[in-house]
Amino acid sequence: MTALIREKEKNVAQAAYQPRIVGFLCNWCSYAGADKAGTAQIAYPANLQIIRVMCSGRVEPQFVLQAFKQGADGVLILACHPGDCHYKEGNLRAAQRHTLLLRVLEQLGIKRSRCRFDHVSAVEGEKFVRIIQEMVDELNNKKGE
Amino acid sequence: MKTAVYFCTCGTNISDRIDAEEVKQALKSAGEDCSFTVGPFLCSEEGQEFLQEDLARLKPERVVIAACSPREHETTFQGVMAEAGLNPYLFQMVNIREHIAWVTADKEQAVHKTILALNTALKRVVLHQPLERLTLEISPAVLVIGAGPAGLKAATALAEAGREVILVEKSPVIGGLPVLCEDLFPELECGSCLLEPVMGDILHGRHAEKIELLTMAELQEVTGFIGNFTVTIRQRPRYVDPHRCIGCGECFEPCPISGPNPFNGGLDDKKAIAFPFFGGLPSVPYIDPDLCLRFTEGSACRLCSDACPMGADIIDHNHQEQIISRQVGAIVLAIGASLYDCRQFANLGYGRLPEVRTALEFERMLAANGPTGGDIVTTKGEPPGSVAFIHCVGSLDDQHQPYCSGICCQLAFKFNHLLAEKLPEAEVHHLFREVVCPGKEGLALYQAARHNPQSFFHRYEQLPDLAVNTGENGRQMVSMLGKEAITADLVVLCPAVIPAADTLKLGTALDLGLDRFGFFDAEHSRLDPARSKLRGIYLAGTCQSPADIRDSVNQGMAASGYILSELVSGQKISLDPLFASVQADKCSGCRICNGVCPYRAISFDAEKGVSEINPHLCRGCGTCAAACPMGAIAANHFSKEMIMAEIEGVLK
Repeated sequence: MTALIREKEKNVAQAAYQPRIVGFLCNWCSYAGADKAGTAQIAYPANLQIIRVMCSGRVEPQFVLQAFKQGADGVLILACHPGDCHYKEGNLRAAQRHTLLLRVLEQLGIKRSRCRFDHVSAVEGEKFVRIIQEMVDELNNKKGE
Repeated sequence: MKTAVYFCTCGTNISDRIDAEEVKQALKSAGEDCSFTVGPFLCSEEGQEFLQEDLARLKPERVVIAACSPREHETTFQGVMAEAGLNPYLFQMVNIREHIAWVTADKEQAVHKTILALNTALKRVVLHQPLERLTLEISPAVLVIGAGPAGLKAATALAEAGREVILVEKSPVIGGLPVLCEDLFPELECGSCLLEPVMGDILHGRHAEKIELLTMAELQEVTGFIGNFTVTIRQRPRYVDPHRCIGCGECFEPCPISGPNPFNGGLDDKKAIAFPFFGGLPSVPYIDPDLCLRFTEGSACRLCSDACPMGADIIDHNHQEQIISRQVGAIVLAIGASLYDCRQFANLGYGRLPEVRTALEFERMLAANGPTGGDIVTTKGEPPGSVAFIHCVGSLDDQHQPYCSGICCQLAFKFNHLLAEKLPEAEVHHLFREVVCPGKEGLALYQAARHNPQSFFHRYEQLPDLAVNTGENGRQMVSMLGKEAITADLVVLCPAVIPAADTLKLGTALDLGLDRFGFFDAEHSRLDPARSKLRGIYLAGTCQSPADIRDSVNQGMAASGYILSELVSGQKISLDPLFASVQADKCSGCRICNGVCPYRAISFDAEKGVSEINPHLCRGCGTCAAACPMGAIAANHFSKEMIMAEIEGVLK
């Protein structure tokens, strides 16, 4: 009986936990990709709040650190595909910075999976939704880690 | 601060999922000091009218509109704000349609997410600064580099529109590669005849006075930016006055020295003073200082000058290199392409066997003004009984150029056609990897070759499978792996079209960026192939990609179209105010930003010890702001404070 209650409590606690994700999306591809998910009306978890930047290259590592400091469970940086950047190479800079940032985050005890970098084009509404879903699932599974 | 919030229901698209009243109450209970107005279709004509009147009446200090994606209607609403007398940047749009209403199944969650997003926008918008578009005086003159088909068309179109054009050509003649061809695919028009009207326009047409043609000249340096370039051009001496020379050619005969003519692939010799080829324009000879005895031996020879019927000073060996400086508003790069070096393939024998020629050398052989007067002959002077064309030399090959150059097949089938006319008995062999003849006229010459009983087709897998050697009878043996060898008296290689040698040099000087093949990188390879990634610099012709004449002239026209629409003579240009700027008091002078800017917009002021951003070149990506270790770079409309406010807002 106690075990059953504990299980139930665990379920309730899990249901109550809603990971909060901040997504930095570049205006030209990824933000448009998120718009595409909208026009296609593909439902996805409401855990994401989008911050629009003109280019993923604008995302300062400090923005990500600040998001975690403010209580974000996950941070997403979504950029144009390599070669598609509206500003030639901002997406490549963003990718480089993300790689370095992961090392800093690890030292701070923040799992790599909590900060994801990916490429979403203006037509990849479905990929965008998949990324959000994956991140929510990941954060739900690793709650508290 | 007085902020006006507008909530667009988008018919029922938004209101079906998000209850405006709930949102309003939440903002009110959060103590937000703002008006809250709900409208049905704010983007519609009536909606915009309502919005404009309401804004003019309320005169809010900031505006937030919760509606569709800013990619949809941000500029629409910014326009309305401007009409209402408000600065359009004191505005933040919240995307509650694409990013919330249409994708959130649970209504409660949708409302919650909307409230969070609106609260965030309210925090952000108070930090917005009024911004004004930048205006810039321009020079309407244009520098066109390269006088091939693309450059010629750009120059004439711009001159016809009243623009001053400086047309810079590296070689002594204009017209580019096509003027070396007697017949052009697909319709076998004569290359000179095709281009002569255009070249005539350049030299002495109605608008010729608008065009300053500088042959034997190259771009040396460029400073400045769109509308305001200072270009430095280095012009080699021609030693012949182009304005007074009548092109009679009297000076050639007495010249005592000859050397291989580079315009004929070294197949014949030319005098130290000569035309590159007869019919080349401008019809003015030039002296090759690598041949002329006055330069090679320091002799006092002036036989050419003595022979000139126009006077003793027309030919002047004392001419010096000129450094010419001009102010221009735009630059068109039309420097053309080059052909792959066939010496890279030792097995094909080019450079080792005299009867192995490149397509360009064969082209000159076909031309009446070429080294053989249009006769197809071997080095022994005999007509060949069999000619082998090796296609795809350096193309479609990861070890060399992975792409298809797109023009070589038609070139080879044109050769087939002309050979069949001139030497109907000759056998023609095509050795190819792939046959590519796109376009509505592209197949005609191929089909003619296919129907010709004297033409034979052999497919090979890769170039190393081929070997060209001299057989016992002195003829060329072309062997193919797993196939019977072909006997040929003449072997013609069709090389890949590759970037010209100057592409890298110019690309580096202008910081233009090259694509992975080494061609100039376009703003967008399909949508904007005639525009480079740098403002004010345009691309035309084969410097951007292998292309035929039609595509090249189209790009030349496209480049001039861009210039005429983007740099209107007598008008200032207006640029987006989303640029970044360096706060000098915070800058440590580390120059990290200089290297990350994709547009060369940042330079270092050594005197002040700080970096500076040219707002006319900056496109507002903000990558410098993210890179600055001192936080000294402010990005307009996407400042650190604004984004931090958003982070705080969404995680409340």
